[in-house]
Amino acid sequence: MSARPSDERTSFIAFARRHVFVTLFGIVAPVALFACFIGYPIGYTVYLSFFEWNGMAATKTFVGLANYVYMLGDNYFYISLINNLKWLAVSLAFPVVLGFLIAYAMRVRAVYLPTLLRTAIFFPVTMSLVAVGLMFLLILNPIFGAFDTLLRALGLGFLIREWFGDYHIAIYTLAVVGGWAFTGLPMIFYFAGIGDVPKETFDAARIEGAGHLRMMLQVALPQLRPVTAVVVMLTLFESLKAFDLIAVMTKGAPFGRTDVLGYLVYLESFWNSRFGYGATVSVAILVLSIAIAALLLGKVFKGAFDV
Amino acid sequence: MSSRVVLQSRGRALRRLRYATPRIFATLLAFLLAAVWLGPLALIVITSIKPNKEFLNGPFSLPIAPTLEPYQKVWEGLNFGALMQNSLLYATTGSALAVSLALVPAFALSRFDPPGKKYIFALLLTGLMLPQQTVLIPLYDMLRWLHLLDTRIGLIVVHGVYGMPSQIVILRGFMTTIPREIEKAAEIEGATDFQIFYKVILPLSLPGIIVGYTLNFIAIWKEFVFALVFLNSEANFPVTVGMLKLNSDRYISAFNLPSAGLVISQIPIAILFILAYRRISSGNFIGSVKG
Repeated sequence: MSARPSDERTSFIAFARRHVFVTLFGIVAPVALFACFIGYPIGYTVYLSFFEWNGMAATKTFVGLANYVYMLGDNYFYISLINNLKWLAVSLAFPVVLGFLIAYAMRVRAVYLPTLLRTAIFFPVTMSLVAVGLMFLLILNPIFGAFDTLLRALGLGFLIREWFGDYHIAIYTLAVVGGWAFTGLPMIFYFAGIGDVPKETFDAARIEGAGHLRMMLQVALPQLRPVTAVVVMLTLFESLKAFDLIAVMTKGAPFGRTDVLGYLVYLESFWNSRFGYGATVSVAILVLSIAIAALLLGKVFKGAFDV
Repeated sequence: MSSRVVLQSRGRALRRLRYATPRIFATLLAFLLAAVWLGPLALIVITSIKPNKEFLNGPFSLPIAPTLEPYQKVWEGLNFGALMQNSLLYATTGSALAVSLALVPAFALSRFDPPGKKYIFALLLTGLMLPQQTVLIPLYDMLRWLHLLDTRIGLIVVHGVYGMPSQIVILRGFMTTIPREIEKAAEIEGATDFQIFYKVILPLSLPGIIVGYTLNFIAIWKEFVFALVFLNSEANFPVTVGMLKLNSDRYISAFNLPSAGLVISQIPIAILFILAYRRISSGNFIGSVKG
């Protein structure tokens, strides 16, 4: 086998001729699978968003932009959109920041028994959100739940709310439960990331008299930009995907106040049999995620994903 | 003389204490955090072995007459045996499919520099980040067209294909850490790409394959949306969909049955977690994500 063309740029055909096996099974096959199972569905979703279709009938009625017009006037769409944003805000503020703090504390040996903490916080990452949701339904139960009982015992009974019934609070309850299950992920990403930062960097800063706050903000975080990029992207898409907890815990109640976009797609398509409108909301999710991803990649994390 | 020594050592002890104090505070905080994470899990386990009549003693009361009856009841009521079998089937075969689809692409992207590599990575990222809901309707339609709706095979294929992008990323990351010198020798002796892949890279990638497979297994075990939408008959349900029933009046009345169900649903993953814990939670596999 001849030397590999790593320096010179070769045409794809020249490359394919020289490496038939690699081209066929390493590039063509996965790209074809992508096209069938990811590319085509995305295209079909966009196509469907211009039609009215009940999911069963052989014919779909072309309605032009009617679905989009309807969406922009649909109250539930806005509720869902805002709920997604609230969810994202909670996810960035709670699991991501906390995950970073814990990872930092463990790496600079600020706590004893770091493994216990890491194990405890990572374990829920392996749990299904269905299980997490059911668990917190029991724990947050207004009458028999452990959480309210604990608050009462601590004399903090005045803090008790209707965690799922009060529509100002319900979406935050869900997002915090989601954050509880998610914290372990940013934590290990940062844990691995800080481990890759040369120890001397921290030592030098410490000799110059930097406290933990400065070490975090001025030493760790700038070095961790690529990790932060990955974590923020993950969080972003995790909050856009928020579905499981809602399907398990509230089903959008009270009065659709805990709907998120992903749940709205499911409801409209598979319960209300309005597949065209469901597809339209899907397109909205898609546009939103592409826009935010492009914004993040282009501006905030320029170069972080270079390969 | 001796009193000076005592004073000195006391001074040293005090100094040591002063250095240790922030760490002790931080540790207390860490314990509190650990309690927030372990507490709910511990409560569920405790609740799951309480008999019905102890329910009114409150959530924090320890079981007086612990019993495994809730486990038996919920196992039979939900037909957990069948659910577990399905979940195991989906997780083992779906992950195997995902990993085997990803092996050669990972080899190609870690060892070669094909033109257009950038675009392949862009595709990968799309596949990784795509919200499932955006492809739910077309996939549903596609599976129906292929007569694979509400079949085990259909779900396995979807899981396999949608697991592939992350497996490519993980395996590629692992393969780039294998030194190139190792295959140089084989290359000089005239081995083909396939032989290098099969005889050199594949055996050396086994640790990476195990990590990738484990992560994918957990991901499929947790998965809910695809299973919920693409399956209709109870006989095909995985644990995540089947256990929704726990949230019905019949089971939720005394909390011990749903708690037992929750524990059961998590047992296989807990075992895997213990076996693979060091590999997964150290975050070593993340090296692969950083490209």
